[in-house]
Amino acid sequence: MFRLNILRLALLGFLLTVPDAVHAAIFYPTHFTLGNGLEVIVVPNHVAPVVTQMVWYKVGASDEVGKKRGIAHYLEHLMFRGTPSIPDGEFSKIIASQGGTENAFTSYDYTAYFETVAADRLPMIMQMEADRMHNLVIAPDTAKPELSVVLNERQQRTDNNPIGRFVEKVRHTLLPHHPYGLPLIGFRHQIESLTAADAQAFYNAHYAPNNAVVVISGDVTPDDVMRLAASIYGAVPRRDVEARRALPPATLPKSGSFSMVDAGIEQPQVELHIVVPSYHTQKQQEAYAYEVLNAILDEGESGLLYRRLVRGKGLASGVASSYDPDARGDADLTIAISPAPEKKVAQVEKALRDTLNDLAQKGLDDKAVNDAKARLKREAIFARDSLMMPGYVFGSALATGHSVAAVEAWPQRIEAVTTEQVNDALRDMLKNPHTLVAELLPDPHASQAAREAAQPVLSQDRGVR
Amino acid sequence: MMKRFLTVALILAAFAVPSLARATTIQEVTSPKGIHAWLVEDHKLPIIDISFAFRGGVEQDPVDKQGLCSLATTLLTEGAGNYDAVAYQQILSEKSIGIGFEAGRDAITGHAKFLSADQAKAFELLRLALAKPRFDQADITRMRTEFIGAIREQFGSPDWQGRNALLKEVFAGHPYSMRRLGSEKSLNAITRDDIKGFAAEHLARSNLVVAVAGDIKPDDLAAMLDQVFGALPAEAKLMPVTDAPWPATPTHVVVTREGTQTGLLFAWRGPKRSDPDWYALEVANYVIGGGGFASRLMHEVREKRGLTYGIDTHLSAMEHAGMIAGDAAIDNNKVAESWRVAHETIRDFYDNGITQAEMTAAKDYLTGAMPMAMTSTDKAASAMLGLQLEHLGPHFFDDYPGIIHALTLEQINQAIRRWYDPDAISFSMVGKPEGIADATYKPMVRE
Repeated sequence: MFRLNILRLALLGFLLTVPDAVHAAIFYPTHFTLGNGLEVIVVPNHVAPVVTQMVWYKVGASDEVGKKRGIAHYLEHLMFRGTPSIPDGEFSKIIASQGGTENAFTSYDYTAYFETVAADRLPMIMQMEADRMHNLVIAPDTAKPELSVVLNERQQRTDNNPIGRFVEKVRHTLLPHHPYGLPLIGFRHQIESLTAADAQAFYNAHYAPNNAVVVISGDVTPDDVMRLAASIYGAVPRRDVEARRALPPATLPKSGSFSMVDAGIEQPQVELHIVVPSYHTQKQQEAYAYEVLNAILDEGESGLLYRRLVRGKGLASGVASSYDPDARGDADLTIAISPAPEKKVAQVEKALRDTLNDLAQKGLDDKAVNDAKARLKREAIFARDSLMMPGYVFGSALATGHSVAAVEAWPQRIEAVTTEQVNDALRDMLKNPHTLVAELLPDPHASQAAREAAQPVLSQDRGVR
Repeated sequence: MMKRFLTVALILAAFAVPSLARATTIQEVTSPKGIHAWLVEDHKLPIIDISFAFRGGVEQDPVDKQGLCSLATTLLTEGAGNYDAVAYQQILSEKSIGIGFEAGRDAITGHAKFLSADQAKAFELLRLALAKPRFDQADITRMRTEFIGAIREQFGSPDWQGRNALLKEVFAGHPYSMRRLGSEKSLNAITRDDIKGFAAEHLARSNLVVAVAGDIKPDDLAAMLDQVFGALPAEAKLMPVTDAPWPATPTHVVVTREGTQTGLLFAWRGPKRSDPDWYALEVANYVIGGGGFASRLMHEVREKRGLTYGIDTHLSAMEHAGMIAGDAAIDNNKVAESWRVAHETIRDFYDNGITQAEMTAAKDYLTGAMPMAMTSTDKAASAMLGLQLEHLGPHFFDDYPGIIHALTLEQINQAIRRWYDPDAISFSMVGKPEGIADATYKPMVRE
């Protein structure tokens, strides 16, 4: 009967999702809120008989207070350590025994858990997430070995990894006195002080249906999901959670630049960090102009920066840009450049600045802007070819104060960006006082032994958790 | 408490029955010129994905010109026909057409993904890359410099050092012991004629395998096959490669490196894909180390004792050899304890086999995970390419659950006795592991 239902409604779903050529959206979701405040988003995708569920809590490392830094991430680990009905270790085993995959991750503004299983197992994974949404019990005897795992993770990602050490210092310098400036995982001494009781308190204060978003994408229909969500998640009681505090305003770094010499580095890297508005902090849609600008600066081998700095002058071996506007606070636009061997770092840095100033002065032309907009809009189509993407996009948007409608209007808002707005964004960016130039340099005096000691042991990530 | 547990157990029971009769349909398409492809036709999204391969990869490199296959492969998208490297990359970017090649051990793989509206341009660029690569001297020099940079970075990577040390021992004298990127010396020995010759001899129709998924009809695909691949020579000239031997006694190498952690890589001789034990070993591997948080090694070493962030094992089937391998990163002063725990876990697995419950869990996982291979256009194409490279048929996905469910506990435990001898494990460790006496100590490779 279940299958019949799916077939019948699949037809309906298909009609609903025929894209309107003029106002193309992205995912054409169904969005509803249960009586207990839980928001649910459904994106049917019938490419395979598979479903992905992502559960997002509107809490992350930037919600931590006092000395308990790293508690959001530690709690994420402990969410797999058991409820009365699904004991320690069973969560992963159950998912695996069904052929599924699961994991979780923590960020500054949100914490997310996800599973991918055969579509007819959706009720099972809903039941499991609903269970740990309100029944988690953190026992000291399981919390303790998990703390070693977290310390190991910090060792592998940060202490034992020159890039990790650099990223930590960049954040700390770029955003002093701001939660975004602290390491997400916590400093070692802070992690060591965390207890099972701390994690339970953080869970009680933040985990509730009224502080969560569930995104379901895959071989399902909105009607079926609505029915299942109402009966399974609807049974989780609403609970008062701590109101989210607004982030403090960002303050300027003490100095506009720093160099970090690290024995573990062979290839120097220069990064230009500029703190610019996010979707949440923008005043006049300028985040969309920054997205177009970022797409121009990040075009890769045929991009303006690559052509001038890598191919033209041979000063760099690579250049890239990144910008993620999904944040409660301001976002960090980063332009990174790798000086070519034998080239002076200062010379490369100056050439990058000169090139940006030159682009700002002459202005980017309509072709550059229109090409970038076309690429971004194609990306929106490619995004539909993935079960995880709807979860990422809606989850991070809703957890940072953005809306479903704004996500769906994204292609139109990108289309509406004018060449003038992109040039304004570029000029604003270059005179923005909240800027940091960070250099990561090899240590020419380090011995071979010291160089080896400073490098990571395993480069590959072994699951986010 | 008990009641809730029962509820979950009941839900599991209700949904544990595999009901995935609906495997994706794979069509076989043959072009007028006789070029064959597998197709999963799906018009819901305006996206086409082509995955293809030419059998014969890095193994084909001459010993004194290691890196040739990788260099030639990389240069295919650095200018072709009338487009120089800049123009070629520019047009890919403008149309968001992704075209890329990669040199694998046994095959050169290629991949193209684009919106169906841009297919004419994508087909033309793909045809040019294969049939008319320019190999301009300036681009050869630029990519060679990039490779030399990458090789220097490899020397700093404990992962690479460990793999290189182990493969050099277990595949001594066989092409599988060669380095994918070669060395600075071997790269400098490669001429433009070598590169042109390599492409001319290895990119042909006789060793070509194609898989396509997405918004394309069979007739249009047939025309595309001739347009893109039709101009290639009919026969590839491949150097014959023999099956790789495996040493009778295990190898234990420690590559000395400063730092607080040790990278561990351990391996047994493993089955080739065609081995009758293959499927039994898929189940066995899941239980010992392939099942992530559900595996015995992860449970003993990470979950119970917090000795590492992760430890896992996998089956690695190559065209001319097989390997069962595992890895982990461990603090130097915990290596001896971790290895002892891992070793005891493997010995128990070898002596006593797995339980009925573990077998059931592994079978549920393997059959349940199968549809995950096809959850996007590129995954579907890549899964079909993998099947063809492994000499499997288009009905594999239909047959697989039956094959797995038919395995008996006895078959699996007998296979474990044949392959997982705890005294036959070779390993390499990279770091300063404490308390590992029984090993050959070597310095890191630096040229």
